[in-house]
Amino acid sequence: MTQHSLAAGRRTSWLPPLPLIGAKLLELRKRRTLMTVTVAFTVALPVIFYGIRLAYHLGDPARYAPAGAPNAFATAGTLMDEFGFIAAVALGATAGTADLTDGMFRHLVITGRSRLALYLARIPAGLSILLSLAAVGFTVACLVTAFLSSPQAAGAITPSPGAMAGAGLWLELDLLIGFTVGLGLGSLMGQRTVPVILLIVLEIIITPALAGHVLPHFLDGERLVVGVAMDQLKPAALAGGTRIGPGGGGALQIPPMPTWAMISVIAGWIIGWSAIGAWKMTTRDA
Amino acid sequence: MMRHVSEPAPDRDEGWAVEAHGLTKRFGTRAAVDHVDLLVPRGCAFGYLGPNGAGKTTLIRVLLGLTSADSGTMSLLGIPVPSQRRDALARVGAIVDEPRFHGHLTGRENLKILAAARGGDAGKQIGPALDRTRLTQRADDKVSAYSMGMRQRLGLAACLLADPQLLILDEPMNGLDPAGMHEMRDMLRGLVDEGRTVMLSSHLLDEVERTCDAVAIVDHGKVIRQGPIEELTAGAGVAVEVQCSDPPAAARALGEPATTSRITLTEDGLTVTLTAGPAREQTAEINRCLVKAGICVYGLRQTHTSLEDWFLSVTSRFGGER
Repeated sequence: MTQHSLAAGRRTSWLPPLPLIGAKLLELRKRRTLMTVTVAFTVALPVIFYGIRLAYHLGDPARYAPAGAPNAFATAGTLMDEFGFIAAVALGATAGTADLTDGMFRHLVITGRSRLALYLARIPAGLSILLSLAAVGFTVACLVTAFLSSPQAAGAITPSPGAMAGAGLWLELDLLIGFTVGLGLGSLMGQRTVPVILLIVLEIIITPALAGHVLPHFLDGERLVVGVAMDQLKPAALAGGTRIGPGGGGALQIPPMPTWAMISVIAGWIIGWSAIGAWKMTTRDA
Repeated sequence: MMRHVSEPAPDRDEGWAVEAHGLTKRFGTRAAVDHVDLLVPRGCAFGYLGPNGAGKTTLIRVLLGLTSADSGTMSLLGIPVPSQRRDALARVGAIVDEPRFHGHLTGRENLKILAAARGGDAGKQIGPALDRTRLTQRADDKVSAYSMGMRQRLGLAACLLADPQLLILDEPMNGLDPAGMHEMRDMLRGLVDEGRTVMLSSHLLDEVERTCDAVAIVDHGKVIRQGPIEELTAGAGVAVEVQCSDPPAAARALGEPATTSRITLTEDGLTVTLTAGPAREQTAEINRCLVKAGICVYGLRQTHTSLEDWFLSVTSRFGGER
């Protein structure tokens, strides 16, 4: 077998090689506006939030609780959840459409590389940016909570390290969902703006509306919305300590879902949208 | 020179660089590529010519597997596609439509992305490809700051990452100034001189005539002629440049004789492309017709038919130009 046929054989693999993932990572991280928004929504937001809380507390300790009070942890988590989801969707939709809109898709297809590998390379590339930045932002929240809190503040208990870790994993999962759905929908539609708008509407309008109202004949349908399932899985530490769903945190009116159902809905959204994006990528005319 | 073969060559180092038989691609009821039979010899520059909308880009997209064909067979470098497309594309470089890249990245970074997709030793080809396309000085500038000519050269550099035996270039001269065209022509001829095959589509017939050894003419999705330029234009006869007092009236006067195949008005007269037959007698007949119509003839000069004249005479544009 010649060297070229060996190279061609490697290109047929659906598994993206590390250099291809690195190339996609390069392409994404060099997008200045996108990176600014992502950093702002995942890192700068909790830093600014805690900075303001700290300033207030230092100015009037009797009136304002310490920056690391448990309710502040829940608020910071909610901010990171909502805004981080938007950043995740924008990053996912960009990863799914940039090659197409920039005219690079043809160049990439002409290399003979498996289209599935080209698609799958976007997932670790995008997630490595998103999840690492979210981890930094969340670490800030954890450090402030651990070192700048008053255990009895606001009558709540400071989250344990285990509870904070659980909250962090939940946040990362939420962002992973936002990214993969944005990626899949962006790849399907071939453009970035509409998927981002649709998913923001889903996140901040449709999901809260469905989660807050029980529709008697549509309860199972409501439960299929990923935001509803995620809300039920929300850790208590992110909801100020109130326990509602199996996760303990969701401020829901909907009766709790079985754990297997929550996992199925969440996995279904991640796998389903990834598969839809991959299908479109492999069948699209270039 | 253009022989027909029914099967792709079994030896992959032999046979045609591009071979297509009965290739058809439809968009709805319109056939953009209509039963195309195409044979591109190895080691030459091959032009694929046709009016706008003739199906040139669609054929290239089909050949490269960017879109599927409705029927027909094809091979690149003797390797059947689309069944072994990835194997075939390992030694093919191509630009389809205008070359577009990630504008927020530098030229070198764009090439790194494409080299990562190609795999193998493609990464080592980035420097030489930039050198060869004379982009090294600007390789670390963002592509958004590149001129069209620089993007064309970057597209060519991207092709060279594959160390290609076959380059398929869609309108590579588009947007280039005369110096850029000259430079691109030299680069393409250099690649051919190394034994590579360059297949290019273009509407710049003069450039094709200067760059290519052989051409195929496509019209309404069909290949209507193909072969070496010299053979094709020789078969079309000669042209006669006529200097006269009233060129429009002269064109009308010459509209009737069956001897003329095409008349084009020029600044100081008209050019008459002759059909097959004795050129001297046809030239004399033109002179006689013009004098009979009362038009003063200041000069008649026989010239070799250009590719453009021949192209216009065999495509559907002929009617509109007459």
